[in-house]
Amino acid sequence: MYKKVMYICLSNFVLMKNTSLYKGSLNTIIMKLLEEKGRMYGYEITQKVKAITLGELNITEGALYPALHKLEAEGLLEVEVEKVDNRLRKYYKLTEKGTKETVNRLAELEEFIKNMQNIVNPKLSY
Amino acid sequence: MELKVNQDQIDRLYRFTREHFVEHYDLQTELVDHLSNAIETEWQENPKIPFEEALQKEFKKFGIFGFSDAVEKRQNAMQRRYFKFVWTHFISFFKLPKIILTIGFIGILFQTLHFFPYQEFIIYALILFFVIAFASWQFKTNRLLKKHKKEKRKRWLMEEIIYQFGLGTAFPVMFQIFFHASKFGSSGLESWQSQLFFSTLFVLLTLFFYIMIKIIPSKAEEYLKQTYPEYAFVE
Repeated sequence: MYKKVMYICLSNFVLMKNTSLYKGSLNTIIMKLLEEKGRMYGYEITQKVKAITLGELNITEGALYPALHKLEAEGLLEVEVEKVDNRLRKYYKLTEKGTKETVNRLAELEEFIKNMQNIVNPKLSY
Repeated sequence: MELKVNQDQIDRLYRFTREHFVEHYDLQTELVDHLSNAIETEWQENPKIPFEEALQKEFKKFGIFGFSDAVEKRQNAMQRRYFKFVWTHFISFFKLPKIILTIGFIGILFQTLHFFPYQEFIIYALILFFVIAFASWQFKTNRLLKKHKKEKRKRWLMEEIIYQFGLGTAFPVMFQIFFHASKFGSSGLESWQSQLFFSTLFVLLTLFFYIMIKIIPSKAEEYLKQTYPEYAFVE
């Protein structure tokens, strides 16, 4: 189910990138990916999203970092730094609060998608 | 063989972020790693593309505003974090044992206003105290920041917020509240209610002031390490 949610969520990202829904979805995408992978760095997130959507979706760099920093400020993400090759790399992972929030946001999103599907494609019963 | 970004190119990327108005080391580091990864990926597909060309290509992906959105959001996030530090200390003054001190100060000021005939004199003395404390602090921190600049120390946004009171956002607000209160005072703090209100307000403002200029700067190093895991690598 989560895979389906993720796909629809990412489709929203492409189709509705100018609406406020887009912003909300971006945060949920990040949190969902971190829930699956444990920890990730910025570039890895953009590549992972591209891979999941078979290149259909690009998270723009201009949107990703502001979203990550906002989630960090809200206490939903925390950071770890490691020296990789000859540079420092910053990894993001969910905090305890972030893990709980991810469950809530995914549930909300599922509910939203269900309602949208009912509206767009109603099953009439007599 | 896989092409990797070398040390000179990393230095060039740091300069590049500075040229594009990213002044603080933490965000620079994150963007340098991002650009390096992107350039290395580009090299896998197109090994002949020169470094500079690959860099410009990747930078374009940040959109017409470049890094500015990331800088702005980073600033908001850090200010929010700073006020969380302030708030945590503030709340501690309303828990035992410090609450005794808080109530004690309110009580002393209230008694003084209640029994001392020259209320206006007290209020102006208090304002003067605030102004002098603020000015001397400003002078001291400006000197410190200039010294850091001279030593070419790395710039950390949280450090600048700590030494500039939430980048000057908090103090104008505090002074405004205080001056309104003093106007209210000059028309006469006759009733005990108005005396108690003024005493409480003054003590609360002083607490904020004390936390911002004394407590948090004294723990600056601790807060920087907590905010920036990379701080331990470079300072």
